[in-house]
Amino acid sequence: MTEAVFFYTFSGLAILAALSVAWNRRPIYSVLSLLVFMFCLAALFIMLGAYFVAALQVLLYAGAVLVLFLFVIMLLNLEPEALARMRLFTLRGVGTAAASLLLAALVAILRRPGPAPITPATTIGSVESIGQLLFTTYLIPFELTSFLILAAIIGAVTLARQKSHD
Amino acid sequence: MIDIPTIPWCALAPELAVATWILLLLVATLCVPAHRQSVLSHLAVLGIVVAAGLLVWASQHPSASGGTAMLSLDRFGGYFKGLLLLATAVVIVMTRLPRQLLTHVGAFYLLLYTALLGALILVSVNNLLLLFLGLELLTFSLYIMAAYVKTDPRSVEAGMKYLILGSVSSGFLIYGIALLYGMAGTITFTGVRAAFANTQPTPVAGQVGLYLILAGLGFKVAAVPFQLWVPDVYEGAPTPVVAMLSVGSKMAGVVAMLRLLDGLVAPVQWVWTPVLAVISAATMLYGNLGAIPQTNIKRLLGYSSIGHAGYLLMGIATATPESAAAISYYLLAYLCSNLAVFLVVVIVGGATGSDSLDEYRGLSRRSPGLAAAMFIALLSLAGVPPLAGFVGKLLVLLSAVKGQRLWLVAIGAVNVAISLYYYLTVVKRMYLEAPNTSSSIRITPLAAATLAALVLGIVVVGVYQQPFLAYIRSTL
Repeated sequence: MTEAVFFYTFSGLAILAALSVAWNRRPIYSVLSLLVFMFCLAALFIMLGAYFVAALQVLLYAGAVLVLFLFVIMLLNLEPEALARMRLFTLRGVGTAAASLLLAALVAILRRPGPAPITPATTIGSVESIGQLLFTTYLIPFELTSFLILAAIIGAVTLARQKSHD
Repeated sequence: MIDIPTIPWCALAPELAVATWILLLLVATLCVPAHRQSVLSHLAVLGIVVAAGLLVWASQHPSASGGTAMLSLDRFGGYFKGLLLLATAVVIVMTRLPRQLLTHVGAFYLLLYTALLGALILVSVNNLLLLFLGLELLTFSLYIMAAYVKTDPRSVEAGMKYLILGSVSSGFLIYGIALLYGMAGTITFTGVRAAFANTQPTPVAGQVGLYLILAGLGFKVAAVPFQLWVPDVYEGAPTPVVAMLSVGSKMAGVVAMLRLLDGLVAPVQWVWTPVLAVISAATMLYGNLGAIPQTNIKRLLGYSSIGHAGYLLMGIATATPESAAAISYYLLAYLCSNLAVFLVVVIVGGATGSDSLDEYRGLSRRSPGLAAAMFIALLSLAGVPPLAGFVGKLLVLLSAVKGQRLWLVAIGAVNVAISLYYYLTVVKRMYLEAPNTSSSIRITPLAAATLAALVLGIVVVGVYQQPFLAYIRSTL
């Protein structure tokens, strides 16, 4: 019972926050709504027993990524008029159509009878089990991710260097 | 006790060499002084040679074959790894040519190597997680390389467009993977395949997931309707990057599709193949018709590469071992021809400072050798016998005939004629029109040797198909 209350509270809040991200006219409000959304998602992860994932969700997304968004928005400092010009009508139509298509697909998937194929695991989500998986089963993807991050760093440095250094 | 899975390190030797070289290049970039940058390109070429040597060694090593839940390290993948190393070597040669506007070559080579690593992973992928990571590593490096010439606004625009559309396609891909995971509870190809084989009727989640993955990969191989970025990116990005994009990235995407079709989609092929056939027809028509009015050689080649993606998709839609062999052969032919064309574009662009088609006027009188190489490469791309491109197209069309898709074969045959038209307009400019200036274009010995080798490849692969085909069939 309590679980259901918490689940519906956080899910409902997450949906409201996501709608607010899309509908807000000011980018700052959108980012702050996204923050609320991330926290709700973290809460849902905690309810699934994935404490580590929840912590990462807060630290990485709510912490680092959203701060980056805020920086970009503040640096660009777009005027409302400039933003109004960017509201392309066709783009909105296409976006709505694509979103409704995905929603329809999701509804079709969820209405499927029978139990979910993934059984809720009791061990996933703890730091120990994630660490073990990362360095055994998922060693190659883990190492590959480090090269991805290296490429991103090199790319950022390359693109950000001053012209005078050329 | 932690259960440690055995990783076949011997079979991974080429990838490990490339990974090591990424780190070596990182250190070298920081240590080598600015006036001795040529050391870096020598180092980069050496890395390719080492990786190629290890690839040959690994293919002969008895314990090297087989695979894991992550990668299937078979000879089929080994063949494409060889082609990818070859393509990267040619791209490095291109960066050595004059006036490529590339500063800080060290970081450029590093990104080229990370792209190569991603592509190497993709051609032997056996796991949805690695499919995503390999694709990200490849395209991430290419985003940055496309925007590498910061002084050129077109280059920055190309990088930006590629980044935005590429990110959207990655979103499709990861959503598709999530749906498949939700359906099967696993991300290994064999696991998802088993889930598809055991569930009747096929779950909606699985179908939607497969379509989303197809959309994500469609961006990478430039298939209609995900091809809009191609002409602009091809026009704006530095030419060596475009060469890597059109050969390496496309090859990796196509082989990843083949791997998916064979390893994961096989029980539910009907989900993919009709859609792929329609996409293939649309892609061929869009690419070849779009190329006709172009006045910039790189834009023209962009549309032409869309057209070629259509033929490759026709092979994938046919989904027989024969069509897989046809695609493998087609990619070899496409690699030689396209790299030769791009090498000429780099040389001419470096000499004239422009990529306009007008620069090719009277090229036969200015530099007969260059014009002859371009002539042969373009005819091979168009599919004129006895060159490599002809055999590639013929094999793909034949496999589609046997796969009972005659309407697609008809469209493919019509497209050969259309493509011949716009390739020949370039030839007409080179041979029949008067040159703007009479000065000849200087070619460095390195570029001349590489170009000669590629043209030789086009002819040899086209005339003596049998040994190549026999090798390809033995890898399947």
